[in-house]
Amino acid sequence: MSHARAEALSDGADSFWLEGVGVRFGRNLVQARSLRHAAAGFFRTSGIEWYEALSGVDLRVHRGEHVGIIGRNGAGKSTLLRVMARVIIPQQGCVRVDAAARVVPLLELGIGFQPDLSGYENCHLAGALLGYSRREIEDRVPGIAAFSELGPFLHEPVRTYSSGMYARLAFALATDVEPDVLLVDEVFGVGDEFFMARCAERIRRLMSAGATTVFVSHDLEFLLARCGRLVWLDAGRVVADGEPEAVAERYRACAGRAPVR
Amino acid sequence: MLMDPRSRRFTRLYAWSQIKLKYRYTYLGFLWNFLEPGLYLLVLSAVFSFVNRMNVGDYAVFLFSGLVPWRYFEKTVNVCMDSLVQGDWLLKKLPVSVFALPLARWIVATVEFAFAFVAVALVLLALKPGWSVHCLVLPVSFLPWALLGLGLGLLTASLFTFFRDLRPIVQLGLLLLFFTAPILFHADLFPAGSWHARLLAFHPFTYFAALFQKPLHAGRWPSSIDWAVSFSVALAALAAGAGALRASRRRLYFYL
Repeated sequence: MSHARAEALSDGADSFWLEGVGVRFGRNLVQARSLRHAAAGFFRTSGIEWYEALSGVDLRVHRGEHVGIIGRNGAGKSTLLRVMARVIIPQQGCVRVDAAARVVPLLELGIGFQPDLSGYENCHLAGALLGYSRREIEDRVPGIAAFSELGPFLHEPVRTYSSGMYARLAFALATDVEPDVLLVDEVFGVGDEFFMARCAERIRRLMSAGATTVFVSHDLEFLLARCGRLVWLDAGRVVADGEPEAVAERYRACAGRAPVR
Repeated sequence: MLMDPRSRRFTRLYAWSQIKLKYRYTYLGFLWNFLEPGLYLLVLSAVFSFVNRMNVGDYAVFLFSGLVPWRYFEKTVNVCMDSLVQGDWLLKKLPVSVFALPLARWIVATVEFAFAFVAVALVLLALKPGWSVHCLVLPVSFLPWALLGLGLGLLTASLFTFFRDLRPIVQLGLLLLFFTAPILFHADLFPAGSWHARLLAFHPFTYFAALFQKPLHAGRWPSSIDWAVSFSVALAALAAGAGALRASRRRLYFYL
């Protein structure tokens, strides 16, 4: 299996530059997880069936740009975000990422949290995953505590938190930073409306501070309000890429399905 | 470099958090790190002394000197093996080095071994009067065991992601190695020149075990062949493990 080239971008103008990116998953991998299947593979004539999650995706995101990615379920939006976050190394194409940028992927709230550790300890552990030193996290703890409104609960195990408290801490930690690039995958569906409003306000401030943001969402109104560009994916391919209103109008008109050529 | 600074820092913190958490919600807390291995050896000593009516002192010192590093090695391989499969919560969400989770588990097992060894030393002190200067070599004796555990841990972690049948195979392999190695019995049980003795000369754990047995039980230095074989095997295993994991890192996501 070949793999895409991963290169560092240093042109100063772009955050991401993807060319011909292809990601595919083997359809029978469930059965393939055994020595028996591997041994049988020597005698099998037919190849593995592949599911093309992304195919020939070209995408160039400039520094400071705010991009929304839309598409139906299974269109490849989250896979694309994981490629940009360098979690998935695609099998085809070339992925270039701004070498100097601090990329914060917000693919899920509370990644790295250990239920038995306190909120404070989890700040240090998950903070390390975001690339922060002990000193940097220590300096940020008061701000994280204030935004999350956890008060004395910050020193209790996170397994005792309500889902709202958990989400507040995770969001506060992930965004109480100055990311150069923020990749967000549908993480705003948690917490009460007041918390969501504060999250939106914090995101808006990060965006106006010049951070490049890429949002994956099914909420078109949210994306139209915040993004300067919309990318429509379907069946792993880019169907449309451009001015948000125009892309959204086509997307709605086609009910999310790529028009047959 | 196998790991970026972010992954290295996470590995350290994650390992430390696991060490802290192990006994956090117990009444005796940190003390269990010493009590658990100490009590295990005391139970074994009691079995040999009361049930088997053996001369417990000499045999127990011999047995523990091989058994304690073996238990560390066995545990390291087992916990590293499923570290990637159980680490999909992280590896599928953030760009972290694939070495981070196996390495964190290896660190935890190694720190636990250090605690265990303090407990073992106390038990051995009670069992054997008079210790020689040869015991000073034990920290170096531990190195090949640690490197071998890490190497096979990385190798099995990588392979287990692709072949889930591997766990019972590895466990049976470890069992076979344990019962054929001179850990439960003295190597000089067999006459020189016998096929048993010749087979034992090819068993890598004859040399690994000697690194602890000779200073602790026999009161002498390990031989140069003990060092040469054990370090060579350990470094080869480490190179194979690191190489296999590095080579497979791009494909792991699709199998987690």
